Amino acid sequence: MATDFWASSHYKRWILDRATLKQARVDDLQYVDYPEQLDFLNIYFASLIFKLGKRLQLRQRVIATATVFFRRFYVKNSYCETDPFIVISACCYVAAKAEESPVHIKNVVAESRQVYSQEEYGIKHFPTDNSKLAEMEFYLVDDLECDLVVFHPYRTLMSLCGREAVATIAEAGELGIGINDGPRYWGTGEGKLELEEGPLQMAWFIINDTYRSELCLLYPPHLIAIAAIYLTLILNVTTRATLQNQAQAQSAPAPSTRRSSRTSSGTQKKAPQDIVGFMAGLNVSMSLVATIAQEIIGLYTLWERYKEDAAADSGRSAFGRSASSASAGTKRSAPSRDPSVFMGSEELSAGGTPAQPDDVVTPQYLTQLLARMREARLADLAHPASGRPVAVNKMLERTQAAG
Amino acid sequence: MDDPMRVYRAKRDTAHINVTTKYDIVGFISSGTYGRVYKANTKNVKDELWAIKKFKPDKEGDVVTYTGISQSAIREIALNREIFHVNVVALREVILEDKSIYMVFEYAEHDFLQVIHHYSQTLRTSIPAALLKSLTYQLLNGLLYLHNCHILHRDLKPANILITSKGVVKIGDLGLARITYQPLQPLFAGDKVVVTIWYRAPELLMGAKHYHKAVDCWAVGCVLAELASLRPIFKGDEAKLDSKKNVPFQKDQLLKILEVLGTPEERDWPGIRSMPEYANVKRLDTYPNRLYEWCRNRLPSNSGYELLNQLFAYDPDKRLNAREALLHKWFHEEPLPTMNVFDTTSDAQLPPRRRISHDDAPSMMPAQATQALPAGQFSQQAHLQSQTHGSAGSFASLSGGGHPRKKGRLA
Ligand SMILES: Nc1ncnc2c1ncn2[C@@H]1O[C@H](COP(=O)(O)OP(=O)(O)OP(=O)(O)O)[C@@H](O)[C@H]1O
Repeated sequence: MATDFWASSHYKRWILDRATLKQARVDDLQYVDYPEQLDFLNIYFASLIFKLGKRLQLRQRVIATATVFFRRFYVKNSYCETDPFIVISACCYVAAKAEESPVHIKNVVAESRQVYSQEEYGIKHFPTDNSKLAEMEFYLVDDLECDLVVFHPYRTLMSLCGREAVATIAEAGELGIGINDGPRYWGTGEGKLELEEGPLQMAWFIINDTYRSELCLLYPPHLIAIAAIYLTLILNVTTRATLQNQAQAQSAPAPSTRRSSRTSSGTQKKAPQDIVGFMAGLNVSMSLVATIAQEIIGLYTLWERYKEDAAADSGRSAFGRSASSASAGTKRSAPSRDPSVFMGSEELSAGGTPAQPDDVVTPQYLTQLLARMREARLADLAHPASGRPVAVNKMLERTQAAG
Repeated sequence: MDDPMRVYRAKRDTAHINVTTKYDIVGFISSGTYGRVYKANTKNVKDELWAIKKFKPDKEGDVVTYTGISQSAIREIALNREIFHVNVVALREVILEDKSIYMVFEYAEHDFLQVIHHYSQTLRTSIPAALLKSLTYQLLNGLLYLHNCHILHRDLKPANILITSKGVVKIGDLGLARITYQPLQPLFAGDKVVVTIWYRAPELLMGAKHYHKAVDCWAVGCVLAELASLRPIFKGDEAKLDSKKNVPFQKDQLLKILEVLGTPEERDWPGIRSMPEYANVKRLDTYPNRLYEWCRNRLPSNSGYELLNQLFAYDPDKRLNAREALLHKWFHEEPLPTMNVFDTTSDAQLPPRRRISHDDAPSMMPAQATQALPAGQFSQQAHLQSQTHGSAGSFASLSGGGHPRKKGRLA
C-alpha cells in the first residue's frame, strides 16, 4: 500500500468529482450571502487546522492528513449542521495517531480551547472534558469509513526533485520517514529534476497551500506535486538569474528553524537542466497539470482577500517563526499578480499586499458567518414550514440512503 | 449553550445499523490482548460466517465512556482498510457503535496452533510434507504481500496464522503491525515490542534499535520449525522487566537459540559487535551449530534444512527475505505446495472445527445478542463435541495455556 497508490483507499474511494463536492455544499449554500464565502471558509478552516497542528507540534504531513480528514468529513456533512471546531480538533487527534505520532487527548482539548478562544474565533463553548472530543473521534472515524491512510504530494516532490544535500527539510522531520522510499507509483519511475533549495522550498510551500482548497479531494497527490513544480518553474524563469548571482540571498524561509549550515551547498552553480524533457518524461497529462496550476493560482487570488488581522498575526508569531513564515512566505509569493514578489527575504518580511478594504474577508467575519449559518439552519429545522424547503425527516431519509 | 452537534448526532444515530441487526452472534471464540473475538453469521444468510473482534471499551470506574480510540485499534483498522490479499485475513467492515469498535473479519475455521496441537495430541504423528510445505508457502506468500506494502507484521506466531475451511492460509492480527520505510525509524525506549519471545529475532533479543522485515522472516523460520517438530523450537523463558523497568537481557531465550544454531560468528554477522547486548552474549558458553542434526528426524529433506538454515541467518541482512524464500527449491520439489493446504489430508485427519463457547462476560455483546445466544450456542456445541472426540481439550485453553499470549517489552 505504502507504494501502491492505485490500490489505496485514497484512490479508490476518495478522489471525487466536482459534482460530488458541489452536492456536499448544497445545504450550506442556502445560508451564505454569496457562494465565494464557502471558498473563504476553505481557507479559514485550513489555517485553523494549521494553527492547532503547530501548537500540538504536529509535523506538516500530519497537519496535511488532518486537513484531508476534515475535507472528507464535509463531503458528507454540512457546516451549518455541525460544529466545525470540534471536528477540526478530532481531525488533528486522529491524524496524529494515524501517522504514528500520537498526542494526548488532554493536550488536544487544552490547545483547542486556547486557539479557538482567540479573538478572531471567540469560541467559548469548546468542551472541557475529553470524552466529548473522544466521542467526536468516534463519529469522525465512522464518517471517514475508517480510511485513515492518506497520500500526500510531498513524497512525489521529494522523489522527483529532492537531493541528498537538500534533505534538510526531511531531516527536520517535516516529511516523516522514508520519503524517497520505493518506486514512483506511476510512469516509468525515471527522470529527476534537481531543484535548488529555494525553488524546492517554494514548491513545498505551494503544496502546503493547496490544502486551503479542495484540490486534495479532486486530484491524485502526484499531480498536485507536479503542478506545484510546474508553477515553481514558471517563476524560476524570472528567478534563475537571481538564483545564480545572489547565491546567498535567495533562499526562502525554511519550514523549520532547525537548519544546518550545510544547506549552503544548495547554492552552488549547476549545469542547466532539461526542464521540458523532464516534464514530458513524467507521463502525466500536462493539461490536467495546467488545470491544477490554474486552480492554485485562483486560490492565491482569493487568498489575497483573506486577511488575518493584527491580533491573528501576533498570535501566529507565538507559534514560532516556522509557522508564520511558512504560510506568509508562500502567500506573498503568490504568482497571481506579480511574480517578482517572490524574490528575497526582505520582501517577505515587508507588509502584506494591499487589497480593497471592502473586499477583504477576516476570520472574525467568517466565524460570525458560521454562527449565523447554524442558527438559521436550526431555526429552519425546527420550523420546516418557514420557507426553506428541508424537513428533518427528508434529510434523514437521504442520509440513510447514502449511508 | 445548546450542543452544536445535536443535529449531527441525531442524524448519524438514526442512520446507524447495529451489529446485531446485521449479524447473529454464534458464540465466543477467544479473548486476546485487545479485545474479544466472536463467531457470527450474517442474519438470514446460511453459512456466511465472520469473526467479529470487539475492542475492549474503555472504562472510567464502572462507567463505559469515550476515552479515545487506542493507537493499536487505529493501526489495525487503518492497515486493514488498505490491504487485500488471499493470504491475509480480509476485513469486511468496521462498526463503531455504543462506544465500542467491532471489526468484522472473514471467518477462519483453523489456525496453525490448532493444527500443531491436532497432530501432536490427537493424531500423534508429524505433519505430512505436503501439508507442511503448503502451510509455509502460503504464509510466505501473505508475508511477501505485506512486506511489499511496507508493512511489518511484528507478531507472527502460530496462533495468529489462520486457515479457512477451504484450506487457505490467512495471516491475522495486525494489531502490532506497522508501516515502515527505509531508513527505519529507531524504536524508542518504551515502545511496545514486538514478537512473542519464542519467535523473536536475535537482533531484537540483542537490543537492536533498528530492525526491519527480517524479524518477520525469523518468525517464519520458527513457525516452520514448530510445524515440523510440533513444538516451539526456541522455547525460552522470558526475563521480566525489573522493578526499575530496566530492559532485561533475554539470556534464556538467546541460549535456546545458541543451543541449536551455535554461537554467532563475527564473520557471519559483522554488525553483532555494535549490538547493545554484545558483551552479555560473549559471556555465554559457546555452542556448535546443530541445526542439521536437529532437522534429521524432524525436517528430513535436505532443501528443507537449507531453507530453515537461511531463515535462521543471524545477520538480518543475510537472512532470506520472503521473496527469496518463496523461490527456494524446497517449494519446487515434490510434494509441491497446494492451493488448498488440506488437498492431501483425508477427512478423518482434518483438524477439528474451532471451538466456541458461551461468553464468560456476556455484557461484552449488546443485549439482543446475549439473549440470542443459548439456542444457537447449544447446537453448535453439540456438533463440536462429536467432532473433537473430546480429546483435544478446549481451544481456549490450548491457546491460552501453552503459548505466551502477552507481548513482551523489549526496549
Ligand atoms: N478471522 C478469524 N477467524 C476465526 N478466529 C479468529 C479470527 N481472528 C482471530 N481469531 C481468534 O481470536 C484470537 C484472538 O484474535 P487476535 O489475535 O486478532 O486478537 P488479539 O487481541 O490481538 O490477540 P493476541 O493477544 O493473540 O495478539 C486468535 O488467536 C484466533 O483464535
